[in-house]
Amino acid sequence: MVKEFNILINGVGGQGVILMSELLGRAAVADNLRVRGSEILGMAVRGGSVTSSIRLGDDVYGPLIPTGKCQAMVSMEPSEALRNISYLSESSLVLLNTAVTIPFTVSIGESSYPSLEAILEKLAKASEHIVQLDASQLAQEAGNLLTTNIVMLGALFSAGLPIKIATIKETIQAHFPAKVAPVNLKAFDLGYEACRQAVK
Amino acid sequence: MKELTVSSDAPGKRLFVLGNEAIARGVIEAGVQVAAAYPGTPSSEVTETLAGVAKELDMYVEWSTNEKVAFEVALAASICGVRALASMKHVGVNVAHDPLMTAGYIGAKGGFVLLSADDPWAWSSQNEQDNRYIALQAYIPILEPSSVQEAKDMMADAFNLSEQFRHIFMFRSVTRIGHARGDITLGEISRERRKGHFVKNRSWLVYTPREARINKPLMLERFETIKKAVNTLTYNQLKLAGGAKLGIIASGLSYSYALEAVNWLGLEDKVSVLKIGTPHPLPEEMVLELLNSVKEVLVAEELDPFVELHVKAIAGGHNLPVKIHGKDLLPRIGELSTRKLTEAIAKLTKVKTPVDFTAIDKLEQETTPLLPWRPPALCPGCPHRASHYAIRVASRRVARELGKDIEPVYPGDIGCYNLAYNPPQEASDTTVCMGGSFGIANGMAHVIDAPIVAHLGDSTFFHSGIPPLVNAVYNKANITMMILDNSATAMTGFQPHPGTGYTAMGEEAVQLKPEDVARACGVKFVEVVDPFDLKKATETIEKAIRFEGPAVVVSRHLCAIIEQREKKKRKEAVVPYRVDPAKCNDKCNACIELLGCPALIKEGTKTVIDNSLCNGCGLCAQVCPHKAIVLE
Repeated sequence: MVKEFNILINGVGGQGVILMSELLGRAAVADNLRVRGSEILGMAVRGGSVTSSIRLGDDVYGPLIPTGKCQAMVSMEPSEALRNISYLSESSLVLLNTAVTIPFTVSIGESSYPSLEAILEKLAKASEHIVQLDASQLAQEAGNLLTTNIVMLGALFSAGLPIKIATIKETIQAHFPAKVAPVNLKAFDLGYEACRQAVK
Repeated sequence: MKELTVSSDAPGKRLFVLGNEAIARGVIEAGVQVAAAYPGTPSSEVTETLAGVAKELDMYVEWSTNEKVAFEVALAASICGVRALASMKHVGVNVAHDPLMTAGYIGAKGGFVLLSADDPWAWSSQNEQDNRYIALQAYIPILEPSSVQEAKDMMADAFNLSEQFRHIFMFRSVTRIGHARGDITLGEISRERRKGHFVKNRSWLVYTPREARINKPLMLERFETIKKAVNTLTYNQLKLAGGAKLGIIASGLSYSYALEAVNWLGLEDKVSVLKIGTPHPLPEEMVLELLNSVKEVLVAEELDPFVELHVKAIAGGHNLPVKIHGKDLLPRIGELSTRKLTEAIAKLTKVKTPVDFTAIDKLEQETTPLLPWRPPALCPGCPHRASHYAIRVASRRVARELGKDIEPVYPGDIGCYNLAYNPPQEASDTTVCMGGSFGIANGMAHVIDAPIVAHLGDSTFFHSGIPPLVNAVYNKANITMMILDNSATAMTGFQPHPGTGYTAMGEEAVQLKPEDVARACGVKFVEVVDPFDLKKATETIEKAIRFEGPAVVVSRHLCAIIEQREKKKRKEAVVPYRVDPAKCNDKCNACIELLGCPALIKEGTKTVIDNSLCNGCGLCAQVCPHKAIVLE
């Protein structure tokens, strides 16, 4: 029985954060787990910050992960990981896609973007387990930059989840049209392997 | 095997859904035949889901022109004996307030439920009003779910309750119910389909002073019956812990946070908990039982102290020496959370919190200054960007002639174009409510001398833009009214409306044109432009501003997202623009600073176009002073 397993996924609108939550949720139900979750979006989807909670287990009631109670954080964008630092604890696992997305406010000089070193330094104060991946690069290797989210999903499963790998793969297979399903499954495997290597 | 969906006849099966889909499933299980709504976050997916399955289930679903009409459509169905739902976001209920205040007098024949989707923290709203007060004022009982599963169950049952008590019910959702996700267990779908039948009954349905006086006592009687009955409804549950000093009364979603907080603190056997599913009317007997068993009570509810005030009244009425906490320990603003409940309960029980929240807060505060500002932006290729650019250029030209200190004023409205309040557009000076742009412009016209250019979208125009337009004609307001027509209710998810030519159920419809409406209302200056023809659009807006009297410019171009989808369907390639480095002056930055398009970025000192984002609208090519932006 799973009591409580909290996964926080974050990124920028358009990166497929919500789809990751949906796939995880469907796979969890198929594996007979209880699921709860919710998203925090800006006023419009595109270009704004997106944070999604997916919570598994019988002791979970609320839709949002409490402060300091996230087991795994999957960040599609480095500064978005930093934005969600309050969810982390020492034992949280952080999976970080190192490819940055610069908001237009930086281009027009209204704000600035921190260095990756600065981001990692702060994250290290919250958690001891940070895994960096160039998921966007791996997605291109798989055959489509749009599969970056599936690369990160693969990495998450490599870290260990209460959901079976076969189940999430079936869910991915069922979700995508037959033409693009293989690219996504390849992306999943590349992420899985890259994370396994990185942890080793 | 057929894929499981929200309309599957598969009782007992589990499905992972969005909260609003769960609510829609409840409506389907109840055998509701009429659902009417106006889109508004966080309610829209309920009606979208229903519209998608309406034909297969023999339901009638419509996007109404506004919430008042939606409410009246549902009320009419109920009067004719058919089960009906009206759904809307919290501020939408304000638009429906007029018929709603008499709906309690009428009650219900066919089950009648109003879905009010409240939005604590105003994630996608202009305020965070607590609609429980509207229900209180109108003698409408409230059902408030604590989870996605309960939302489904409660909605399905709401129509039974409505018919049992012959009264309208409010189903109060919040963002974290409607936009939460979870697994639900499906129930039976009612296949009952009734034929609507209208029975003339003046005393019941024709509201003159006489009928108000006849029906109010009947309404009060119905409400009293409901007040007794809620004590036995399973949505309210009392769990007494032996010898507990503290009791928690948790309403709706707050119950899930309270349960987690109590578990996190390890106080499962030390705190009594009353779960409230009907905040109005409260299950008074259960409240009393709790108040009689503890020394202190914490009322957990989002937004205003609604349950708290009623609990205090009950305690006061019975002279009970119980200390009642609520908004002294929990905020009136924003959403509650497991953390907020944990801290409040820890304080009352003098137990240490399981996590050092102060340390987490400190780290977060150190981190915040590093974060880039990532507000939602108008999409690449969004026609509003072009419209706002044209409005600014045209209005400033006129303002300069009027005097050095004169700044044009841009009353704005509810919709994607509201994002133009951000830099670099800065072209939305007020946003109050749907249709408020034209209304505010009317008033400003009589007190200031600057050019006034108000703007709203096509769906908003049909929702509530027409009365203030008529007012401008009638009362001679010298204003320019822009209708930014992208042929969609874009911000809430591209729902159709009277200007799109089709209905919620996908049927063809008469396509109303805002320019025809404006002309028919007596506006003497009405022009239609494509904002991507920037020169012509700017000149036309300038003429409209110079026109003596109310003027209308319809700035029409299909929403960039829909346009892109249609191109994809037609297998038409999107041709992005690129910056010619030989012509571009890297220090100029005009394109970036004037337009703020997410596809225009700096790579080191170079200005470049991100071709994965560019949709080829060509606006930047039109504003570049060096003609350095060219087609790929």
